[in-house]
Amino acid sequence: MFARIAAFALSACAGVPQGLPTRPPITVSAAVSLTDVLMAEAQEYARTGGGNVRFNFGASNVLARQIASGAPVDLFISADQAQMDVVAAAGAIGGTRVDLLYNQLAVVVPSDRPRTLRSVRELADPAFKRIAIGDPQAVPAGVYAKQYLQQVGIWDAVQQRIVPSASVRAALSAVETGAVDAAIVYRTDARISTRASAALVGPLADGPRIVYPAAITKSAEQPAEASRFLDFLRSGKGRLVFERFGFTPVS
Amino acid sequence: MDTWSITAFTIACAIGATTLMFVPGLGVAWLLARHRFVGRTALETVVSLPLVMPPVATGLLLLLLLSRRGPLGPLLERFDIQIVFTWKAVVLAMGFIGLPMLVRTARAGFENVDRRYEQVAATLGASPFRSFMTISLPLAWPSVVAGAMLAFARAVGEFGATIVVAGSIPGVTRTLAVAIYGYTETGQDAKALELLAVSATIAFAALWLSNRLAERRPA
Repeated sequence: MFARIAAFALSACAGVPQGLPTRPPITVSAAVSLTDVLMAEAQEYARTGGGNVRFNFGASNVLARQIASGAPVDLFISADQAQMDVVAAAGAIGGTRVDLLYNQLAVVVPSDRPRTLRSVRELADPAFKRIAIGDPQAVPAGVYAKQYLQQVGIWDAVQQRIVPSASVRAALSAVETGAVDAAIVYRTDARISTRASAALVGPLADGPRIVYPAAITKSAEQPAEASRFLDFLRSGKGRLVFERFGFTPVS
Repeated sequence: MDTWSITAFTIACAIGATTLMFVPGLGVAWLLARHRFVGRTALETVVSLPLVMPPVATGLLLLLLLSRRGPLGPLLERFDIQIVFTWKAVVLAMGFIGLPMLVRTARAGFENVDRRYEQVAATLGASPFRSFMTISLPLAWPSVVAGAMLAFARAVGEFGATIVVAGSIPGVTRTLAVAIYGYTETGQDAKALELLAVSATIAFAALWLSNRLAERRPA
């Protein structure tokens, strides 16, 4: 009986549908804000004859640490240069490093309490009792948010009300459950969310320059395959998908 | 926030959590030890759930319950009570995670108390409450304290539920475990190791005491 179940399970695994490549998947560590768009890209890539892609999404600082500690990842896409620098400093970048995307910040509020802000300075209003951002110590979205708030001069006023979150999606989630009154996330996250509505959306004239660099790692087990996927992302088809989700591809 | 204040905050919250759960925990332990009733196994299982479920899941349940858009949201808002992302959430998370430890250990203690003493007390006219307070509880006391110490130790080390429902706000909700995680994430390994040493010491002390107490048999 057990042997039959085992045989069935094995045959189910071994069967490969016609037309799908049998190459092992490449592993891509990418900033969590890229979750939805990269899943779409991978689908498109597989559909047009590319290989399979396996993703590891997380806050870029965590991913950078993993790679610097030797995690077997083929391609790394970070949400800021600082975390890519961490990987570079550890000598873990294999190929060239390219700038892939631009993004913008946005302020979101719970969708059952929509408001529109004309300027991010309005966050200094004490009505915003709690504001979630990525941890400003290392999470890129948090670093950008703090940088922006400092630049417009309200960081000191809001600092006590900041809730540092493990990632930009955690900050978004805090707003969606109503646990915080506002969050600073990426414009692309605001588009995806159904339970958080945008109060202020980029392009922000004075907003920080947000760049997502990408690089093949030294510990890549399939650098050629990873390079093919990266080329796809930078191709016309890849750029269309990025634009659909609100990102701006680097030309 | 330096090591000392993080440690003090964590211990204070853990003591608060254990205190909060002490009476309800003893009540449930007593109920399970002495009474048969419909739903007994269900109660036993529900109380033990935080022991087996992923702590983040427990945290998520608490978050959904207490957030503004949750079922208790409107009530909390009416009285302007904020729980999520405050020390209260830390205490609640620690309390629920530590509760099964207290209940299971205390229950074993109560089951070890010879029922005949309670029966004799009843024949002498003592109310069930008086019998509990003057006979059963003192006899089971070593187990009760061992259970409380276990719950305390577990509370000090609690991470998953805490970070979900209380976050990692420096100076407000950053416990030892949460701070260790934060330092690890931001590459500050030296500070993380320092807190690790503190946390290991507290855990060792609490567990050692708990085990010593659990070894003592009632008179």
